[in-house]
Amino acid sequence: MIARAIGSDRRTMLWLGLIALAAGLLLPHVVYIGLATDIVIWALFAAAFDMLLGYTGLLSFGHAMFWGGASYVTGLLILRAHWTFVPAVLAGVVGAVAMAALVGAVSIRRQGIYFAMITLAFGQMLYFLTNQFGEWTGGQDGLQGVPRPVVFGHMTLENDQVFYYLVLALTALSIVFMRRVVTSPFGQVLGAIRENEPRAMSLGYRANVYKLVAFIISAAFAGLAGSLFVIAHRFTSLDTLDWHTSGQVVIMTLLGGMGTLFGPLFGAAFYLVINDRLSTLANASNPLLAQFGHSPGLVLGVIFIVVVSVFRRGIVGELLNALRR
Amino acid sequence: MKHLHRTCLLALAALLPAIITASSHPAPVQADETLTIAVMNDQSKVYADLSGQGTVSAVRMAVEDFGGDVLGHTIKVISVDHQNDPALGQTKAAELYERDGVDAIFDLPTSSVALAVAGVAAKDHKLAFVVTGGTDALNMDRCNKYTFHYGYDTYALAQNTGRILTENGGKKWYMITANYAFGQSMLKNFTNAVVSAGGEVVHNDMVPFPNTDFSSYLLLAQSYKPNVVGLMNAGDDTVNAMKQINEFGMKKSMQVGIGLLFESDVAATGPEYWSGSTITVGSYWNLDEKTRAWADRYKKMTGKRPTWVMMGNYSAVTQYLNAIQRAKSTDPDKVIKELEGYKFEDVFARHAYIRAQDHLLIHDMYVATIKPASQVKEPYDFFQIVKTVPGEQSYRQPSQVTCHL
Amino acid sequence: MTPSYLALQIFNGLVSGAFYALLSLGLSIIFGMMRIVNFAHGAFYMLGAFGAYLAAQWLGLSFWWALLLVPLAVGLLGIIAERTLIRRLMPLDPLYNLLLTFGIALVIEDFMKIFFGTQGTPYAIPAGLMGAVNLGITAYPLYRLVLVAIATLACIAVWFAIEKTPLGAKIRAATENPTLTQAFGIDVSTLTTLTYGFGVALAGLAGVLAAPTTNVTPVMGSDIIITTFAVVVIGGMGSIKGSIITGFLVGVIAALGAVIYPPIANTLIFLLMAIVLLIRPTGLFGQPEATAR
Repeated sequence: MIARAIGSDRRTMLWLGLIALAAGLLLPHVVYIGLATDIVIWALFAAAFDMLLGYTGLLSFGHAMFWGGASYVTGLLILRAHWTFVPAVLAGVVGAVAMAALVGAVSIRRQGIYFAMITLAFGQMLYFLTNQFGEWTGGQDGLQGVPRPVVFGHMTLENDQVFYYLVLALTALSIVFMRRVVTSPFGQVLGAIRENEPRAMSLGYRANVYKLVAFIISAAFAGLAGSLFVIAHRFTSLDTLDWHTSGQVVIMTLLGGMGTLFGPLFGAAFYLVINDRLSTLANASNPLLAQFGHSPGLVLGVIFIVVVSVFRRGIVGELLNALRR
Repeated sequence: MKHLHRTCLLALAALLPAIITASSHPAPVQADETLTIAVMNDQSKVYADLSGQGTVSAVRMAVEDFGGDVLGHTIKVISVDHQNDPALGQTKAAELYERDGVDAIFDLPTSSVALAVAGVAAKDHKLAFVVTGGTDALNMDRCNKYTFHYGYDTYALAQNTGRILTENGGKKWYMITANYAFGQSMLKNFTNAVVSAGGEVVHNDMVPFPNTDFSSYLLLAQSYKPNVVGLMNAGDDTVNAMKQINEFGMKKSMQVGIGLLFESDVAATGPEYWSGSTITVGSYWNLDEKTRAWADRYKKMTGKRPTWVMMGNYSAVTQYLNAIQRAKSTDPDKVIKELEGYKFEDVFARHAYIRAQDHLLIHDMYVATIKPASQVKEPYDFFQIVKTVPGEQSYRQPSQVTCHL
Repeated sequence: MTPSYLALQIFNGLVSGAFYALLSLGLSIIFGMMRIVNFAHGAFYMLGAFGAYLAAQWLGLSFWWALLLVPLAVGLLGIIAERTLIRRLMPLDPLYNLLLTFGIALVIEDFMKIFFGTQGTPYAIPAGLMGAVNLGITAYPLYRLVLVAIATLACIAVWFAIEKTPLGAKIRAATENPTLTQAFGIDVSTLTTLTYGFGVALAGLAGVLAAPTTNVTPVMGSDIIITTFAVVVIGGMGSIKGSIITGFLVGVIAALGAVIYPPIANTLIFLLMAIVLLIRPTGLFGQPEATAR
């Protein structure tokens, strides 16, 4: 069975939340602000994904469609229709929700790997369509030159620091919301479905409805993250819809620890920082270190193998587990 | 004990990013003491052999040849792997410009990354020289004051290869196009060139990108009996298409016009597959005495011959440093003024100048065929230059350029 | 478009289809027996292609010898991976092994990049198999005809081995009920290891067959892995018959797509997968999911 959702102990979660918030506030002073913003945005994406995987037990290989899809919706509205921050981001989230409702409605009945593959199929089809309408979306060159929108008509988001704290606030609120969902009675049912779906159904719960709702909520927050992504970077590209991106969020969630909600936050930070460092590692004076700079796949692959084989609950998950003893 | 051991390992693992961050973060440099040049390209994925570390070496050579410092500033070169990820490339570019005092970024293969970084350059008022990235959007609708498109673009490739093959009897063209912006741009430019020279495009296949099996398209092509098969793609797609063109024995009855090719692509299969095909390049290490001497020095440094874009980067850095010297300042706006319109000759660029209107490098381009295997004397000795075409005839005319800087 | 031309395109589709069938066969067998989605399948395919190259470079072996020996070598590597890494995670949710094999694929791919670079490594069509055969409408490469013959023979041989031989019976038994099979005195653990090795050996064989016509690069595996999954899922995971038939089917559909509307040719398989899964939840020939272990 997938690692049981641990750390439902309220005090532990509160502490974790405070640590995460503190880390978020300190982050821009430790790494470059652009990287910090990316970390928080991906953390949100990973947390949303974990809600589906760790808590509901559904593996989606197409989650990039919500992230990327929302980024294109928001990006296009800001670039072509000059929408401001709140409407554009909301539109992105609505877009993701709509896609999730559609895809979920037809796929949710499928189990396990089949569900994963159906979501992958839809993801690939969205990628294809986005490339086909390259006139609108910029195709492989990406949707470039998206300006930072204004918030409520006054506040400009040009300042990277200001934007970071806005993103941090939105992410923190989202995490709190998701936390509430998974600890609510609704969330308890999700957990029951994850543990033993037939039994939950025999108790009268319509499992498919619950799973669909969880799928949509997860997609909504993935979409929120995607909308923030395009604003942060001032562009979006087909990469955001690629299955590799879906794979990346799975990796982040696993590295941090499934079913912990805070694990994925750490996983996102971990993955992005290592990836960032690898890109300039070739400049290191130590030749061995420099060689790693040319083989990021090797480094990440080994880390990944070690985490999956040894630290199965993910780094945060294992730490929480160790602390419990 | 095992429990403690495991927890320690865990804590270590958790702190790994912090450790790496602390140890390898380059100290922020004082802009007035050092001039920092960054080479940003793909060092671990598909374009790693085309440009990658080889380009970094070429850039270091340029700095060395220049003397290692300019106007009293020591010149520092750092390399960055963008992994073909535009988000990573953009974030790193911003970090390099804003935090690490980098003055100029060079190379930038992969059009989506080049465009993203060009945007950062414009925002941060620092310089970006796109050498390996080929999309003409960089010198047309997405041009900006701080970005230079230096080396080639899809228009120049089409203008030469397309026109020459058509004029020499290749009237009927069958196009196989990779369905992404670069391929589409190549198709548009080639079609223009072919039609202007009196030829016609009998059919085009918009092949998904990326693609490995071209057999269906080649079978269809055979039924049209064209004079030329035009490969409007690059990299792995081109190599696979060429491998299969040979498999189908199509070279006996038709010519192959390749949109974009580098020495590394030919090395992927060996020259016999490509021999007889026609391409256009920005330069070639075995072009003349001057390039050969340079390539010999490069080989001493790296053990290999360069691809022509590696030479392009050498040239771009050299001209950048020269411009700084002329401007007597490292201030980007002053350097830009010195770069625009200045006529020069170097190992890569002949009869060259950077056009002020669109920051495109205008220089001699070369039409080449691929040698048969028997004439290849060493690795990367693949091209036979058959014609030199002046920049004015290769690149888009100013009247057609949509960029006005 | 003439009917004879259409027939030619369909035939060409069957040729590519034979290749897909062979590649997905191994994946299906592994899933059927071990319930794991072998994300490293593409990496072993790639190793097969490089194996052919190295067999020629280091040992001077011809294509035919490579066809025989390289799959064995790849199978051996698979056995090592199974024994050291995969086996440990077998008692857990299959998700772990899916992710583990993904990590293994990353490592293998980057490892090869260090030694071979990314542009491609030359491998030519064997001398005796060059040239084209006149099929009436057009000349068709001899090598492709040989490829479809070998791939089809391999598929049939595997199907026969699994369905009709005693060893195959043991494998099928172990797939359906490992505990009971073990109780009968059959060493399920060794059988599992051998199955994984066999599955990736088939991938290696596909790699050797691909080397003469496809650019041999470290990323060639990750380029086709998703399509391979799709074929297996459409056919029904664990169904040998399903993988073979679907492989050919997908080849033909992609060929028709290329003829009618090229841009969608490579995406059609995903459309097909979505449609099939909606109508038949476990694929065309798949069994309804057995109770979880």
